[in-house]
Formats: sequence, C-alpha cells, structure tokens
Amino acid sequence: MPEVIIYSTPTCVYCKMAKEFFKKNNVRYAEHNVAEDDAAREEMVNKSHQLGVPVIDINGEIHVGFNRSELEKALGLR
Amino acid sequence: MYDLVIIGGGPAGVAAGVYAARKKIKTLLIAKEFGGQSLISADIQNWIGVKKLTGLELAQNLEEHLRAQGGIEILDSDLVARVEKISGGFLVITENKKTFETKTVLIASGSHHKKLGVPGEEKLNGKGVVYCSTCDAPLFGGKTVAVVGAGNAGLEAVRDLFPYANKIYLLVRSDKIKGDPITFESVKANSKVVILYQAEIKEILGDNFVTGVKYLDKSDNREKELKLDGVFVEIGSSPNSDLVKDLVNLDERGQIIVAHKTQMSSLPGIWAAGDVSDVLYKQNNISAGDAVKATLNIYDYLNKK
Repeated sequence: MPEVIIYSTPTCVYCKMAKEFFKKNNVRYAEHNVAEDDAAREEMVNKSHQLGVPVIDINGEIHVGFNRSELEKALGLR
Repeated sequence: MYDLVIIGGGPAGVAAGVYAARKKIKTLLIAKEFGGQSLISADIQNWIGVKKLTGLELAQNLEEHLRAQGGIEILDSDLVARVEKISGGFLVITENKKTFETKTVLIASGSHHKKLGVPGEEKLNGKGVVYCSTCDAPLFGGKTVAVVGAGNAGLEAVRDLFPYANKIYLLVRSDKIKGDPITFESVKANSKVVILYQAEIKEILGDNFVTGVKYLDKSDNREKELKLDGVFVEIGSSPNSDLVKDLVNLDERGQIIVAHKTQMSSLPGIWAAGDVSDVLYKQNNISAGDAVKATLNIYDYLNKK
C-alpha cells in the first residue's frame, strides 16, 4: 500500500473531493488539518513550497491540488 | 460525427446534456469537472428546488443527474482547447489532443477568475496569492492579509477571513463598494478590517512568499507599501471564450454574443449559454435555463437540416 498523506482545511472542497476519491478507490490516507495544526502547516509548506491546499504526499511525491488523473497515475490505479 | 458536442460541466452544460439525451440527440459532453464555479461555494441557498446545499453537493447532483441519462457520452478530465470549422460542421480539439467531429456545438465553458496582471502575481500564486478564499482563508490564522476587490466576492473573502486573520485590508480601486450593502455592513463593523479606497495594486512583493504589496494611493497620487502575509484576489471573472474566439462574435469583455431568444451565436451551428455568453445576470438557475433553451433550438435546427 502506498503511504498517502493529505494536508487539508475543513472548508476546502478539492480536499473533500480528494478524500472521496481515496475512499472510492480504497486508498488509506492520513489527514492533517493545517487550519489548526501549525506544525503540519509548516511541514506542508516545506514539502510543497507553497501554501495552497490540498497538498497530497504519495510515498514522498508531492501533488498540489486535486487532479484525478494525476493521482490515478501516482497510485497505480490505471 | 456527433450531432452535438457540449463543452462544460456546470449548470448550463449539464442541463443541456439532460435535455439532449431526452431528445435522443447523439451527444458528447466534455468537462474537466462538474459543478461550475459554485463548486467551491460553502453554502448555496438559491438553487431552485433545494433549500440549502454546498457547492460540492450541487456538483455531485449535477453529475449524477447527467450520468443517469442513457445515450449520452461523457469525456471527463479533459478540456477543449479549440473549435474549428469543417465542412458540414465543426472539429472539437481537446488539450489531450483528442478530436471529435460534430454538426453543432454548445459552448457552456463558463468563466474564470480574473488576475490582477501585476508583477509578482504569477510567481507568488499559491505562495500567499490566493484566488479561492473559502479554500485557503483558514491558512492565514494570525496573519495580516489584503483582499483586492469591492464586489460581493471581495466582501465575502473578507468575511471568510474574519475567524482567522488578525488584520484584513480591503483594497478598493475606486471610491465605491460594489457588493451588497448587507454584506458590506458586516465587513465595515469588524474591527479587524481596514478599508483603503482609491488603492490600485502595482506589485506583489516577496521572494518565496508574499511579504507585501506596492500600491498607488490615487487620493494623493503616491506609491505606498503594505506589509502582508497574503493577498486575496477577487476582482471578478473573465469568460472562457478563447476556444471559439476566431469563429464567433465576442463583445468587448470577451463574452460570446448570442441571440437571446435561441442562444445561437453569430455563427450558425454554435450556441452558447451560461457565464461564457453575454447574458446579463450570471446565475446558476439562468445558466441552466438558457442551456435548455439552446438545446431545444439545436434540436429544431438539426431536424430542419
């Protein structure tokens, strides 16, 4: 199983879409709410060099935003 | 060859798709995602028939309704790059270099967030420059930010920031607020908010992240600077009409000029509906209705041929 981490905020719709996409494809993920968790926010900025959400870390490969086909490829779903 | 290619997955595109399927028009709908610009909305209370829903719920409802129709083909996760005229119809070319031949086209590609077009903006996009306040406002807890724009979107961005930011500058280019008075009252009443009128942004400053802005204060004609952690850009939208700009007549804002009885553009065979058209009011319900009108007219056009 790939190790998947999503950095999100509660109001971000693309974060919700990404999480629904993970659930639909049975991808397990860890989630950090960067609106509240300052350490996670810093970690996200260090990994992605930017401040937008979602940031998705798949085995250390960083994806900014929700791009379904990009994630499918990174997760080997097609 | 298709009878109809629908471009867009917002309320207009989906409404057209449902009607086209029910009329058994041989149709392909191309959309990168569903829901249109309301997708990022936290709360929609004026979509007729539903008291209250989120933008994501609206998007899911639209997609489900469309996919419940038999006989319509859907290409998702791709965007149309351009449309060309060919004999007997049109060639639709996507960004992934797929091509489709069709007798008619309905453009329902909506519009996109306008950018300021000042130095520093591109470089700092996502690095303190924000175009989706509902998404990213929570990232600015304890920070000093500016919102650019005096329409409803600007005022709502300020409100999105209330629970998080320490200080919020609202930069207004003219000396007037264009958004709704009710929203403005709540913005004005918040002690975190400082409103700067006649402030025209000249540059967004920062190397790795936003550190401030340079603006022209038109009241005394002097350039000034603000120290900031973020800039929220909410200055309106611009139609996604590039894909047909050489084929149909556009107005001065780039909107596709349509005949409002039929939604047909200046070129027979191409229709437009929703925010990409020169409709006076940009509303989900109007977009859906105008697209239905267009589809019924396309049906008549195909049958007369």
